[in-house]
Amino acid sequence: MSRIPLAWKNLTHDRRKLFVAVSGIAFAVLLMFQQRGFNHALFDSTVALLRDLDGEIVIFNRARFALSSELRFDRNVLDLVLSDAAVQSSAPVYLENTVARLRRFGTRARPIRIIGVSADQSPLADAETRQKVEELLQKPNSALVDTRSKRNFGFNLNPSPGTEEAGELAGRTIMVVGSFSMGRDFAHEGNLLMLSDELARYFPYRAVKPLEVVDLGLVRLTPGSDVQAVADRLQTRLGPGVSVMPRQALIEREIAFWARSTPIGTIFAVGAIMGFVVGVVICYQVLATDIANHLSEFATLRAMGYRNGYFFRLIFSQSVFLSMMGFLPGMLASWMLFRFTSMQTGLLMMMTWDRALFIFVLTFLMCIISGAFALRKLLSADPASLF
Amino acid sequence: MTSAIDQSQLAELLRSWEPNDEQLCLAIRGLQHHYGTGEAGKQVLFDNSLRIGKGEIVIMTGPSGSGKTTLLTLIGTLRSVQAGSLRVLGDELNGMEVEQVNQVRKKIGFIFQAHNLFESLTAFQNVRMACELVGMPPEEFRPKIESVMTRLGLGNRIHYKPKSLSGGQKQRVAIARGIIHTPRLILADEPTAALDAESGREVVTMFQELARDYGTTILIVTHDNRILDVAHRIINMVDGSIRSNVDVHRTALICQILKGFSLFRELPPKTLADVADKLKLQCFSKGSEIIRQGEIGKEFFMIGQGQVDIEIDGAKVNTLGVGSFFGEVSLIRDQPRNATVRAKDDVTCFVLDKQEFQEVIKASASFEEELRKALFERQ
Repeated sequence: MSRIPLAWKNLTHDRRKLFVAVSGIAFAVLLMFQQRGFNHALFDSTVALLRDLDGEIVIFNRARFALSSELRFDRNVLDLVLSDAAVQSSAPVYLENTVARLRRFGTRARPIRIIGVSADQSPLADAETRQKVEELLQKPNSALVDTRSKRNFGFNLNPSPGTEEAGELAGRTIMVVGSFSMGRDFAHEGNLLMLSDELARYFPYRAVKPLEVVDLGLVRLTPGSDVQAVADRLQTRLGPGVSVMPRQALIEREIAFWARSTPIGTIFAVGAIMGFVVGVVICYQVLATDIANHLSEFATLRAMGYRNGYFFRLIFSQSVFLSMMGFLPGMLASWMLFRFTSMQTGLLMMMTWDRALFIFVLTFLMCIISGAFALRKLLSADPASLF
Repeated sequence: MTSAIDQSQLAELLRSWEPNDEQLCLAIRGLQHHYGTGEAGKQVLFDNSLRIGKGEIVIMTGPSGSGKTTLLTLIGTLRSVQAGSLRVLGDELNGMEVEQVNQVRKKIGFIFQAHNLFESLTAFQNVRMACELVGMPPEEFRPKIESVMTRLGLGNRIHYKPKSLSGGQKQRVAIARGIIHTPRLILADEPTAALDAESGREVVTMFQELARDYGTTILIVTHDNRILDVAHRIINMVDGSIRSNVDVHRTALICQILKGFSLFRELPPKTLADVADKLKLQCFSKGSEIIRQGEIGKEFFMIGQGQVDIEIDGAKVNTLGVGSFFGEVSLIRDQPRNATVRAKDDVTCFVLDKQEFQEVIKASASFEEELRKALFERQ
């Protein structure tokens, strides 16, 4: 038979106190989740386009320092890469950013990102969206709107199938006939997805032949290829005019760019640290109050001959229990809050396992640190004061 | 002269007279204690010495601030010894390492004035905390806790939480926790104050059993005079010093032995106890001189064991046996010794100082009468 679980008993003895304690810690967990969530969301959003594309390797103009800078390269490049044995196919992505203005009748024109893809060589990863793009072939002057675009474009962001809404893009009428989901970021308030041929019609001044300059080239490899090796090979082949990078590496480069050029990382790190500190204070308060209320009992245990190690384990266990009991509801509340903020802001609030694990480690640390402070208080319980 | 001295009682007395270190539970020598240092410092214990044997029940009394609590915490290893020697169960506490202190603490049972029970644990679990500490297996502590708690009148409250127990019941749970592991020393602070007469009596009965069956020494600080009768020793502390230290058990034993002397037969109990307290025990090996003719007399002797020869001017005039006394003449008349007394074989004598002897004479008319009669018979 095991020993009396004093740590657990003391913690759960008073249900009301336990509820307050767990709520407090859950609140700290929520704060940390939310701050990290915003942080990730802002970065995740900037690479939403890259993430939703299909293809292991991306080709782009070497001078293009970020996705939003409009530096393009020659379409021929995408044909050149096909000669490599590992390359299965290549597809262009056309983007229009600075000159693209969308206006609903009766509202102000607002900048929007236009994504142009071809129906037969679609670089989109999502099959459903690919299908919708194919359907655009039937309707001239039509496009799909990103459901996460800013509301003040004035579109119904969740149109039911069959409805069409008219707008004005680059001085011409455009029909929004459906939607897809991507997400907005610092540089773009919304996205419009259309066929590349349509894009050429709306933005004829892109180049002499508008579709001969490409923003991103997506390269699909035969299964089992060494992505980095192929990228290196293609880079040598294509020369210094373009950059060839594994898509994942480009995603990281893009995030690094925004992390470097904006204070977002610092702002939300400070926010998360505040959440952590609040958690330490709450957790310490819970543990220290429990100790203060039972000081003479603990002193009695010391008089009986219980060693410091016992009290160390006791407080450690309580810290672990508290972190676990606070984390679960905190995570659940965060998940709901993520969905809410995601809906409200159009930011990508994603809760992944590794991020949840990171917050759990923080929560655990939080409780252990406050436990260490509380232990000092417990060890001050002087059995000599009992007689 | 007839003797009615019970030799087995005498043997017991001799055994317990100067207990050797192995029979001692507590040996305190020159113990001092200060609170604070320098100008603001206050001395609370002044050069105290005390020896308490195993299995003794000791009651400590004294006004508040007399240092008895400090002494109790020092004995209980709850405070570190500053000056002097304090040995508990053979271990010197002065300068002891923390790890060893915890080992000593496990041999001590603490009963505090406040019950100090964990609200989150049942009475059973609170007591179990003490069992787990000493590594008692469940098949041992389960029935033991149940039987102790039943004896303390908590049989139907074993699995209650302290919240649903009365003050007296909580105190009894705390007592059960203090004694469950059969400690070698129990330190109790007003253990019966919160209890009714019946459960208070049951508690002291259990103390007595522990003392008798396991040699547990029990040190009780109390003002509860309902339990004074169980004390083997009563210690009174005043102003940081042990004012009196009466071995009740030994005094009673001596009184019984003294009743065997015809001289003391008629003495009232109070005087008898006074004599017993002041009595010393001396042993003389065969052939040694106990008193010498011509010396100034300082002591009065009673023979507990063996025989002595009386010699006047080198010639043997008489032999005295158990129950006889000698040395009184020179004390009464303030004269030099009129004879030499030599141990005929190994002799044990009870010895009373001159001053105390005279006080006893003054206190009791019958004693003087007995003395005269005896003197007359001897001549």
